[in-house]
Amino acid sequence: MRTKLVAVAIAALMVVGMVAPALAQKTDPKTFVYAMFGDVDSLDPAYAYDTASGEVIHQCYDNLVAYDGNKLDAFVPMLATQVPTKANGLISADGKTIKFPIRKGVKFHNGDILTPADVEYTFERAMLADPAGGPIWMFFEPLLGVQTLRDVVPMVGGPEKFDDMSKLDPAILRKVYDKVAKTVEVEGDYVVFRLAMPYEPFMQILAKGGSWSSIVNKKWMIANGAWDGKPDTWVKWYDPPKESMTLYERTMGTGPFKVETWDRSGGQIVFKRHDGYWQGPAKLETVFIKYIDETNTRILMLKTGEADAAYVDRQYLSQVRNVPGIVVIENLPVITNTTLLFNFTIPVEGNEDIVGSGKLDGNGVPSNFFADVNVRRAFAYAFDYDTYIQQVMEGRALKPVGPAPQILPYVNKNQEWFKYDLKKAEAEFKKAFGGELWNKGFKLTILYNTGNELRKTAAEILEANIESINPKFKIDVQGMQWSTYLGKLRASALPVFFMGWHMDYPDVHNFYFPYMHSAGAFAGYCGQGLIDLAKAEFDPLINQGISASTSAERAEVYKKLQALAFEKAVAMFYIEPTEERVHRDWVKGFSFHPANSARYDFYSLWKDVK
Amino acid sequence: MLTYIARRLLFLPVVLIGVTLLVFVAMSFLSPYQLVSAYIKSPEELKNQNLDALVRKYGLNDPIHIRYFRWLGNLLRGDLGYSQSANMFVLQAIKARFPATLELALFSFIPVVLGGIWLGTISAMHHNRFLDHATRIFAIIGWSLPSFVGGLIMLMYFYGVLGWFPPGRLSTWAYQIVLSPEFRQYTGMHTVDAILNWNWRVFWDAVRHLIAPTITLAYLWWAFILRITRSSMLDVLNKDYVRTARAKGLRERLVISRHVRRNAMIPVATVAGLMVLGLLGGMAITETVFDFKGIGLLTTTAAQQLDYTMVLGSTLFYGVLLVAANLIVDVMYAIIDPRVRLE
Repeated sequence: MRTKLVAVAIAALMVVGMVAPALAQKTDPKTFVYAMFGDVDSLDPAYAYDTASGEVIHQCYDNLVAYDGNKLDAFVPMLATQVPTKANGLISADGKTIKFPIRKGVKFHNGDILTPADVEYTFERAMLADPAGGPIWMFFEPLLGVQTLRDVVPMVGGPEKFDDMSKLDPAILRKVYDKVAKTVEVEGDYVVFRLAMPYEPFMQILAKGGSWSSIVNKKWMIANGAWDGKPDTWVKWYDPPKESMTLYERTMGTGPFKVETWDRSGGQIVFKRHDGYWQGPAKLETVFIKYIDETNTRILMLKTGEADAAYVDRQYLSQVRNVPGIVVIENLPVITNTTLLFNFTIPVEGNEDIVGSGKLDGNGVPSNFFADVNVRRAFAYAFDYDTYIQQVMEGRALKPVGPAPQILPYVNKNQEWFKYDLKKAEAEFKKAFGGELWNKGFKLTILYNTGNELRKTAAEILEANIESINPKFKIDVQGMQWSTYLGKLRASALPVFFMGWHMDYPDVHNFYFPYMHSAGAFAGYCGQGLIDLAKAEFDPLINQGISASTSAERAEVYKKLQALAFEKAVAMFYIEPTEERVHRDWVKGFSFHPANSARYDFYSLWKDVK
Repeated sequence: MLTYIARRLLFLPVVLIGVTLLVFVAMSFLSPYQLVSAYIKSPEELKNQNLDALVRKYGLNDPIHIRYFRWLGNLLRGDLGYSQSANMFVLQAIKARFPATLELALFSFIPVVLGGIWLGTISAMHHNRFLDHATRIFAIIGWSLPSFVGGLIMLMYFYGVLGWFPPGRLSTWAYQIVLSPEFRQYTGMHTVDAILNWNWRVFWDAVRHLIAPTITLAYLWWAFILRITRSSMLDVLNKDYVRTARAKGLRERLVISRHVRRNAMIPVATVAGLMVLGLLGGMAITETVFDFKGIGLLTTTAAQQLDYTMVLGSTLFYGVLLVAANLIVDVMYAIIDPRVRLE
């Protein structure tokens, strides 16, 4: 009897296992499943500054313009009917006024019709909210020549320093609004941007899909608790908590899809097709992005066909290459680079665990160790770039030729750049500190964030090569928790440090500024020595580059900057990594643009299921 | 009995405060900057915010007692804080994820207990013979096997090769039904909701997704039940009334089912109650492997990301469950076994 019961139970299990899949529809051609990892931060375009959020926003919103194909410097109209140029008169001769004629008859997801007022509201609302750490600095720089809304306060006569924006004099707050409002205005069927200076990447900032430039529905926003559009009330919505923002977990754009559900408990986002899309409805009806942290699970879902596309970590790619039915596209050029940066003014006191004696005595490094250009050059010559790219990165990276990735316009690919040459490294070390360094030697610790094996290996390659040049040169490679690493970095305590920079917009300015400007993202970590050098030699050129009114002028400036970056060996730029995509062979219409946040543009996709 | 229950209820807040205090103190050994790092996701955030401002913003530099009492005060107002790792409020996250864990625990409970008792009975009846050793070795392998290894083997074979038991809680098509306005989600447990909506396709799909994690969990726990059942049965098998029953000529099967197993079940029933809690708390790895978005996976992710608000919140949640389960088990024990005198 008992044996019979067991047999019945096992049989039932088999039946459920086999019958239930039969009940399911296999690979529904109208439903797309993308298995990703992680989660979304926010769906509000004024707040979101991460690619996972951008992936979702990209599918639901349109911008004024879009990139033409996979080009980085050519555009096509989107919600504007024309791409402004000087030739068509929509960009003024001085490059400071840009007019966009707004398309008519475009429907939002709820059926409302797009108007120029929606476009004006989109940018004003984003700038007046200016969430801390968010992306809106990208509008302040071209439109007002500052970085944040706080910087506008002293511009209109308010205090330089203050704690609480809402406690400022209402008259000042009104002036702040007026200042912002004047930068983007409606003129008939046009929306006009007034820039503080000519700013070539402005069009790229507007074109990046899944981003800060997504146009929202003013009427719906106000009805759903967003800024009411009045000049004297905006401060109530300034720097809001993300979850209080109207678009935090909802979407209301003109894009081809709308978010039906952000299913937190199921770890997935479900999109439904926007049937009234102005470019015609998408071929797919429903799309799921499923957030699954376990790589093996994602790969199995892809292999069984339950997922149409999946994110596969680089080290697991061998499991999906050459698998029938699975397409692996590799070496896609994203606009990013990874760098070893030097601290020109290393703090010595209290930092002995990293810099040793803090003197040029063979038992440590002095504070100005990397202020000597010969030391920086020697490090840059001592790294075996090709071996690293071939063996560590499995060939899926490019060797840089300067601070900006070479896919970008204005990068001189013929610029002489550092390559692995121990003889040159030795010559530079011999020149450093008037020859004193060669005789006395040094001892230095290179830190990396624990868990990042790619960086650990890069540090070890450098260690082995430099130590082989002179037995008096000693390098230790040590891992450190990311949080502690950040703390040390913030205190500018790391003599050398690894960093990656992923572009906000595909323009060389977005690389020269963080790496070489005295106010750049990394300047503080590189010490006063770099700041002084930057002020004297880099800043004027970087400022000239961004405000240049012609492409030819910009090209000339960045050529000089690139040469200067080589001459001064500002940092050791060692890889420009590439990306990959993994999907089923029935997925058709895949297109790639290196600047877009979305790894897949669902509008272009369809499924050819036999 | 009532006095006992009342005393246990009064003791409940003391236990909970102890639990939260312990975890809070342990996590406070991290510096405010280390805690802040949990909030920083990219260098961009450092461009406009400095660490000190973030420390001030989150009050991470205040003395520990102030931070603790601030958290307790919020707790009394029903605010367990915002979880960075879950990207929602802690209470909201627990509420969203608990049904999945509860469903998995309830479905696992049946095979764990029935399978464990069955194996324990076989083992006891064939005491020190081949079947006893084989059963115990089988169960001990499960007990010793890391759950992620067992889970991955299950997933690779039953899903990867046979295509039977997929990961997740539902298939994509079933999610489309569940998330549609026509389908009402009463409990968040898909099997229960499917029955209430009279939708058998969704029910079977949910069951299909529960089988692999259930078997994995069951195999891990069988050794535990087997051992208690076996020793309890061996104890009862030597009792006089069993000998009497056999002497009366009663068939062995009836002796076992009527006299031995029924009496041997008292300790098994006691641990089974606590085991539900063990299942609830110990399924983080199984949930991860099978992408079963439950509370175990939520807590593990929070711990990895130093999301201490979520860790504290889920600790408190488990604390409540533990104390409540203990209370229920004790009361049940008194009901099952009248010899127990709680007063």
